[in-house]
Amino acid sequence: MNMFASAGIVLATMVAVYVLIRVIRLSTELAMFGAAVGGALVAGFGFPSRHIAEGAATYLDINLIFVTATLFMNLLKESGGVAFVVRSILRRFHHNRALLLVLLTVLLLVPGALTGAGSVTVLVTGALVAVVLNAMGIPKHRAAALIFINAGLSAAAPPVSLWAMMTAAGVNMPYVGFFWPLMLPCLAGGLFTSFYLGWKGENANVMKALEELPVPPAGMSWWRVLLPFVVFGGFVFMGRQWPFSTPIVGLPLMFAAAAVISFLVSPVRLQVFRIARETVDQLLPLLATLTCAGILVEVMTLTGARGLLSLAVVTLPIWVVYASLFLVLPASEAVLMWGAAPVIGVPLVLLFNNRGLDPIIALAGMSIIWPLGDALPPTAIIGRLTVDVVGHKGTYGQFLRACLVPALFIIVVGTLMVVYSKKLGFLTGL
Amino acid sequence: MSGRLLAQKFVVISLGIALLATSGASFYKSRRLKEPVVLGPGVTTVRPLSTWFAPLRGTANDCNVYFLDGRTPGATMLVLGGSHPEEPAGRLVTWILAENAIVQKGRLIVVLSTNRSATTVTRLGGAYPPDFSIPTDFGSRTFRMGDRFTNPLDQWPDPEVYFHYPSGQQLAYVDIRNVNRVWPGRANGTLTEQTAYALMEMIKREKVDIELDLHEAELQYPVISTIVTHQRGQDMATLVSMTLTDSEFKIGTEFSPRTLHGLSHREIGDFSPAVSLLAETPEPFLDATRGITSREQLLTGRDEFVVKAGQHGLLFEKIDEKGWPIAVRVGRHTSTLLQIAETWGEDHPDKLLVISGVPRYKEVIANGVGHYLHDPAKAAGRVVYE
Amino acid sequence: MSVVTLLYYALVAFISALLVVNLLKSRKWERDVLYVLVLLPFLLRLLRLK
Repeated sequence: MNMFASAGIVLATMVAVYVLIRVIRLSTELAMFGAAVGGALVAGFGFPSRHIAEGAATYLDINLIFVTATLFMNLLKESGGVAFVVRSILRRFHHNRALLLVLLTVLLLVPGALTGAGSVTVLVTGALVAVVLNAMGIPKHRAAALIFINAGLSAAAPPVSLWAMMTAAGVNMPYVGFFWPLMLPCLAGGLFTSFYLGWKGENANVMKALEELPVPPAGMSWWRVLLPFVVFGGFVFMGRQWPFSTPIVGLPLMFAAAAVISFLVSPVRLQVFRIARETVDQLLPLLATLTCAGILVEVMTLTGARGLLSLAVVTLPIWVVYASLFLVLPASEAVLMWGAAPVIGVPLVLLFNNRGLDPIIALAGMSIIWPLGDALPPTAIIGRLTVDVVGHKGTYGQFLRACLVPALFIIVVGTLMVVYSKKLGFLTGL
Repeated sequence: MSGRLLAQKFVVISLGIALLATSGASFYKSRRLKEPVVLGPGVTTVRPLSTWFAPLRGTANDCNVYFLDGRTPGATMLVLGGSHPEEPAGRLVTWILAENAIVQKGRLIVVLSTNRSATTVTRLGGAYPPDFSIPTDFGSRTFRMGDRFTNPLDQWPDPEVYFHYPSGQQLAYVDIRNVNRVWPGRANGTLTEQTAYALMEMIKREKVDIELDLHEAELQYPVISTIVTHQRGQDMATLVSMTLTDSEFKIGTEFSPRTLHGLSHREIGDFSPAVSLLAETPEPFLDATRGITSREQLLTGRDEFVVKAGQHGLLFEKIDEKGWPIAVRVGRHTSTLLQIAETWGEDHPDKLLVISGVPRYKEVIANGVGHYLHDPAKAAGRVVYE
Repeated sequence: MSVVTLLYYALVAFISALLVVNLLKSRKWERDVLYVLVLLPFLLRLLRLK
């Protein structure tokens, strides 16, 4: 049997196993794992424990970032820091709807930008922002859409953008020069979304919102909220300013240090072990997604399925690729979540590189489109999570319709970034 | 906890332990696989790299340095294999040198595992085999597969961004574990930086005249089938590639970009009197469009998918159904190395480098790589391990 | 081994402990499987195997 036929059979088996597991209503993570095991068995590799473990270890460092960053965010939330910030913003800026929307957008972008996960944005600031949006007279389906789209953009925003990081690693490209190419469209998309969905509505009912928002503990202040960020920023700054006289700390330990500081300066006594345990429990689907995506990619590479898929992508006419990004990226995200980056992102970047495009800008453009898939079935984890957190009682379709225009805006911006990546190359600063 | 829940936990945890045990055993075994080197008649001494930089002693990267002193003085050439162990042709060439080369004039210094730590790990997500075997006249010899990067068990964590020393150029964070991105190294840096620093110390103290770093590249990468040279080696490299293209196989010359830092062809030339060169052969195993990832593909270089990518004009080197067998890749490197020594001699008649016992391109293809590897069982007292 | 590296091993040990506690407390087999898979690379690193 030639290589095309054998890899084709493996790929078809993987798809079949994936679909089967989803049909019996098990999770996407298990479906990816099952697809990997099925593919390996059909390809004649048996149960390749070495490759499964190696694949599982692919994103160990990223999982460490996830846990430490989310623990930091959760400690901040439990200490009342997040509620303090939301209340302060609302009290101070409720007269100015535009400024309020800008600040809420920033508040939504920060957690995901730091952790790389949109779900962290939804969980840490989403619920509180939802209260403010409600007080601003924004219907819940629109509020959910506003939070969801911003959460997606926050995940794509620098410094931690997993789609960009994972794809860059897959093509041996430095994760360097991505800051502005990711930051600008995320900010633009975030502001567009917030204004489009949040501009219409009554003036903020401050009293009502303040009643609904949790009250931060006495003694909570700006310095207690900001000090952990200052410590985190200090580590980043020192590492960049004096790289040859500062020990290498790495992002996980920087977040861990910020978490320790937010614990130490909290005005209330925090039960660290309970919060840490809950953090890991909350993150399990995401940690498992990365682990299983690593396993799937390793087995696809082992069996030639990845090569076949890469080949199929890189031999497509470029205009077909441009025209289908809006569909392929969110769809692959919906099926594979972050696994979409190494599976689909890597061959696309190779193709763009080969056709003389700027791979950094093109990848940044793709990275802002990917998270839109988090609202789509079969997974729709973050979409559903947002709807739950906001307390939208209507249909899921209502929420999706509210997402449509901001999603189109982001798709257009992202696709244009890919098509005109060469001209936008200056944004990388390289 | 109910009986059913207990049984469920027992089953899942047992399976987990089985997975941990079987995979862990495989990782443990391949990290410790011993690679024998039968010292050839030309090897005069073997010294640890820590001889030139004591802090490396006892680390994974305190690799062996093989000295092949000539009968009469001349030029000193350093050959680096295993900067990227996942590119096996380079390492195998250094094995052939250590087991066969005889130096008449001058001196040859050979490093088989430049980044020894990187030989003990395989690429995450890469599905590499743990090792590979080369058939020989007496059986076979097995080598660790290795990766491009230092094993995280020897260097962890990675920085948020990596700044190259001393240029300050920003590189990908993982490249702080890539020995060919950290030259000229740093005494108080990471293990990988210290390794390059130790090698730089050796290059300076042993007065190396020519340094050659042996690599392989995916066919989708533009720097392939070529000699990359520091500006001080431009004439020599051009002449070498012209001669080889005329007589043996097509090979190009590229000039090391002055602003691209951390690479051996740039920094060794900048920070020492040595002329620094780097040679690349094609390795389809590294291509992202490759089919099944296997030992066979690694050694035959045959891959229908990569051929297809070539038909779509996506590659920078030709490939057909014959692939790029390991003997062809090793032979390209041995001929390149021997040609460099010859061409150097034409320019430096007072400081010659004359090497014998090393097969050229056609001989390696005719006899196979394994023909030049000797039986450790029959070489008592002349075997060291990498 | 540097202090920072030791802290990383401590961090991995801490997270491994959290994962184990959650694994023992979880009631769904699906989550059990995921905990075991997520735990695998943490333990491999802690045991200095990968």
